[in-house]
Amino acid sequence: MNVLPSRTEAKAQPVRAPGQATAMIEIDHVSQMFQTSARQDHLALSDISLTIEDGAFVSILGPSGCGKSTLLYIVGGFVSPTQGSARMKGRAITGPGPDRGPVFQEFALFPWKTVLGNVMYGPRQQGVKAAEAEAQCRALIEMVGLKGFEDFYPKELSGGMKQRVALARTLAYHPEVLLMDEPFGALDAHTRTRLQNDLLNIWERDRKTVLFVTHSVEEAVFLSDKVVMMTRSPGRIREIIDIDLPRPRHRSELLLDPRYQKYVVDIERMFDDGPVQGSAL
Amino acid sequence: MTVRAQDLLLGLVPLALVIALWQALVSFGYAPATLLPPPGLVFRRLAQQLTTLTFEQDVAATLFRLFAGFLIAVVLGVTIGIAAAASPLINSAVRPVVRVLAPLPKVALYPALLLLLGFGHGSKITLVTADALFPILLSTYYGASTVEQKLVWSALAAGTPPREVLFKVILPAAAPSILTGCRIGLVISCIVVFLAEMITSTDGLGHVLVTAARTFQAVDMFVPLITISLLGLILNGALGALRSYLLRGFPEV
Repeated sequence: MNVLPSRTEAKAQPVRAPGQATAMIEIDHVSQMFQTSARQDHLALSDISLTIEDGAFVSILGPSGCGKSTLLYIVGGFVSPTQGSARMKGRAITGPGPDRGPVFQEFALFPWKTVLGNVMYGPRQQGVKAAEAEAQCRALIEMVGLKGFEDFYPKELSGGMKQRVALARTLAYHPEVLLMDEPFGALDAHTRTRLQNDLLNIWERDRKTVLFVTHSVEEAVFLSDKVVMMTRSPGRIREIIDIDLPRPRHRSELLLDPRYQKYVVDIERMFDDGPVQGSAL
Repeated sequence: MTVRAQDLLLGLVPLALVIALWQALVSFGYAPATLLPPPGLVFRRLAQQLTTLTFEQDVAATLFRLFAGFLIAVVLGVTIGIAAAASPLINSAVRPVVRVLAPLPKVALYPALLLLLGFGHGSKITLVTADALFPILLSTYYGASTVEQKLVWSALAAGTPPREVLFKVILPAAAPSILTGCRIGLVISCIVVFLAEMITSTDGLGHVLVTAARTFQAVDMFVPLITISLLGLILNGALGALRSYLLRGFPEV
C-alpha cells in the first residue's frame, strides 16, 4: 500500500520553448522504469513529450501493456516519472490534487458509502457545507442518470451504474482535467455505447480537458479531438492524429460518416503494421 | 420460510443431537449419572444458579476479564496492524516480534503473569489480550495492506490530505478483515479467560468449575461449562450483528 507516490524528484530538464498559452498539461520527456518481480528493469514509457490544450478531448490509444495508463497516473500525480516531468498550467505536478480527477476502469467506489456518500466525498473534503454539498451532488446524480439511487450501495448497482457514480464523484469536486483510465473497458458493448454518448453530452456542456486512455479505436475516434497512438512496450508516441469531425457528435450520424470510417480504418491499419522502432515525434 | 430462519433451524439440529447423545449416554447407563449428570438436571441447576448472587458475581468477573482483555487486544491489534501496513519501517520492526510470539502458547506465560500481576484481574486480562491480539493484528495487517490502491488514489485526488487517508480510506476499507479477526479473537478470549480461571483464580466461571470438580459435584461442574458456551454464543451473535451493520455496503464476505 502506497499512500504517497515516491517523491524522487525528476531531473531538471532544459526549459522548452514556451508552449501555447492554452496548454493545460505538458508532458516533457517522460520515461518510466519499473522493476519486475525478477528484479529486472522494465522500461514502460520512453521519452514521451505531449502537450494537451485547455478544453481538448485527447485519447491515448495503444495495445495493452504499452504504458498508457502509467502516463495517465503520472499526470494524476499518483506515480512520479523516472525521468522527465509533467506540468499542469505550467506548474510541476508533484502529487494528486483536485484539479485532476481520475475515473478508473475498476470504478474504485468506496464500498462503505452510498451513492450519495461517494459523490459527496470530494466536496466535503473541499470544505463545502454538508447541506450545500448534498444539494449539488443530488443534482449531479440526476445528471448522470441515477436519480432514485442516491441511497444505494455500490454493490447494489450494475457496472454501468457504478461507472456513472464514479464519474459523478469526480465531477463533484470540479476538476479542471478529467483523467479517464479505460473507464468503459469493463462494461458490455451496449452499456459502453450509452456511457460514451452520455459522457460526450456531459462534456459538451463545460468542455473540461479530458485525457482518455483506451485500447478501442472506435471509442478514441468517436470521442476525441486528438488521438495519441502509442507503440507496444516500451511505450513511445507513434503518431498524433487530429480527429477533424464536427461536434456535437451523434453516434448514428457519425457511424455513417465516411470521414469517421476512414479514421477508424487508417488507425487500425497503423496498428497492424506492427511496432515502429523509435519515436515518431 | 426465510433463508435466515432455515439456517437457524439447520444449526439447531446438530446442537439437539449433541444434547440427545449426552442424554443417551446417561439413560443407557454408559456413564453413571453421578459423574455425568443428565442435561435436564444441569439446565435446571443453571436456571437456579443464575438467580444466586455468588454465581452472578462469578459470571460478572469472567465477563469483565473477557471484555477488558478482548477490547485491549482490539485496540492494540488494529493499531499495530494498521501501522505496520502503512509504514515499512514499523513493519520491519513488528514482523520479527510477531513471528516469534504468535506461535507461542500464551498460556505458558500465565505462571509468570501470576507472579508479576497477582491473582486478581490483571494477570487474566493480560493473558486474554496476549492470546486474542495476534489474530486481530494479523487480519488487520492483511486487510490494510491489500486495500485497493485506486481507492487511496481516488481519495487523494479528491483532496484528502495523505495523513488522513489512514482513517478515511484504509481503516474503513480494511473493516471486513478487521472484524473477521475480531470474531476469531472473541472466541479465543472466551476460551482463554475460562482456562486462566481454571488454573488459578478465586472467582469466575473457571474457578466455579474447578471447585465443583474437586468436590465431585458433577452437576455444578457442568453449569459453568454451559454458561460460557451460552455467553460465547450470545457475544458472537452480537458481534455478528454489529459486523453485518458496519459492513452493510460491502459485498458478501
